[in-house]
Amino acid sequence: MKELYRYRDLIWTLVERDLKVRYRRSAIGFLWTMLQPLLTMLVLQLVFSAIFRFELRNYPVYALSGILFWNFFQQSIISSMNSLKGNAPILQKLPVPMEVFPLATVISGVVNLAFALVPLFVILLATGHRLGWSLAFLPVSILIAALFTLGAGLLLSPLAVFFSDVVELVGVVLMLCFYLTPCFYPMSIVQRHPFFWVIRYSPLRSILEVFRDPIYFSKVPPLSHLSLALTVTLVVLLVGWLGFRRSADRIPFYF
Amino acid sequence: MTEPVIQLDSLALCYRLPKQRIGSIKEYFIHFVKGNLVYERLWALQGLDLSVTAGEFVGVIGPNGAGKSTLAKVISGVLKPTRGERRVRGRISPILELTTGFDFELTGYENIFLNGLLLGRTRREVKAALDSIIDFSGLEEFIHTPIRNYSSGMVARLGFSIATAWVPELLILDEVLAVGDSRFVRRCQERIKSFQEAGTTTLLVSHASELLRESCSRCLWLERGRLVADGEPGEVIDRYEEAMRGPREGVAAEAPASS
Repeated sequence: MKELYRYRDLIWTLVERDLKVRYRRSAIGFLWTMLQPLLTMLVLQLVFSAIFRFELRNYPVYALSGILFWNFFQQSIISSMNSLKGNAPILQKLPVPMEVFPLATVISGVVNLAFALVPLFVILLATGHRLGWSLAFLPVSILIAALFTLGAGLLLSPLAVFFSDVVELVGVVLMLCFYLTPCFYPMSIVQRHPFFWVIRYSPLRSILEVFRDPIYFSKVPPLSHLSLALTVTLVVLLVGWLGFRRSADRIPFYF
Repeated sequence: MTEPVIQLDSLALCYRLPKQRIGSIKEYFIHFVKGNLVYERLWALQGLDLSVTAGEFVGVIGPNGAGKSTLAKVISGVLKPTRGERRVRGRISPILELTTGFDFELTGYENIFLNGLLLGRTRREVKAALDSIIDFSGLEEFIHTPIRNYSSGMVARLGFSIATAWVPELLILDEVLAVGDSRFVRRCQERIKSFQEAGTTTLLVSHASELLRESCSRCLWLERGRLVADGEPGEVIDRYEEAMRGPREGVAAEAPASS
């Protein structure tokens, strides 16, 4: 931990560089971060209002909040996994604490999420959604999501160094998780399914609910959601951290 | 007697090289099921004991594959020893390669920050050293140019200037003094000498025996992961060169320990 503090400026610089690269590439790079989830939302709106009919008021806000959470989670996991591999030359020649790379990736993911929240707020206002003080809780929700993601990223990123096909494998698993997490559908439509419990008790869902509660339901997450999400986050973070520490020594041997 | 700056106790390092190139979970799984996950163990360092006190200038010689670079990496803290112990006191400036950590899309100026931070410095420390880094590198004119436009010599100069911008307790150099023009090389040597006067301990891996002869206070001869000799530079280097000239008998290396 003390080591990481010493390298704090490095972490910020890596975040800055990541964002610069992301937004310098294309003229509308910045806009794209906001536009992409909006377009996804529109597609979902079309599909779901035409095919399925669920009783869900203000579906756009429901879906968009789910998608923003998911994009953050998925992109951060994948880039964490690539971050160690991508910095192989550094890890072979300089004694840098390797955690800085996944950590910087997750932080820049949070910044992107913050940008992507702008259109969400626009939609909240445009649709006359009830805005409550509960929104003040959102930063805490994001912090929980970020720590959870960091834990998962720490756990998976060394594997990506040891085995070249892990990233693709995780990509497929993430897709499965996406459908097993109520990002864009309400819980009510899966209630009758025999595997309902998988979705209901999924750790990812608890993180998502804590993120969505203050936005969509205009309420501070109830203690039941919050305690579950916190427990899940702490466990994942701890396991991820320990796993990372255990394998970190072997990482420079694998490039 | 002061505490040593470098202390190695029966330090060994093993590279585990898979007999087959296993790069994916799929292959790993197949080999695991077939029960032929075989690794070749290469002991690059085989039980080294070393104690270096503050202010010593230690040269390391040895043929290719002797474990010199591995030793530099272990002392730097990049590689963790497989067995034995490594204790290093104080701040290290490891210069294992001069182009490490550069982002070729960024300008020289931006890279000074990136590189300094990778060496564990804060932004403030880099800012304070900025002028002296640029000045030493002699790249004022090009400092705001992306370094992909630099020649390899220019990149190396910048790398050396950043890595030596602060006086470390321990300086580790792995074959990095062979770059740049002779004038720059001389300036590098002067800087290393000034560090020496400031009390820095230096570990210099090199094939340039003349350089080692004139700058070192102690010389290690490494071969197949073992210390062959450790002592007065002139004497060690003479013996080494003698051995290199003769037919390749070398030092009888024992079969790598297996476990």
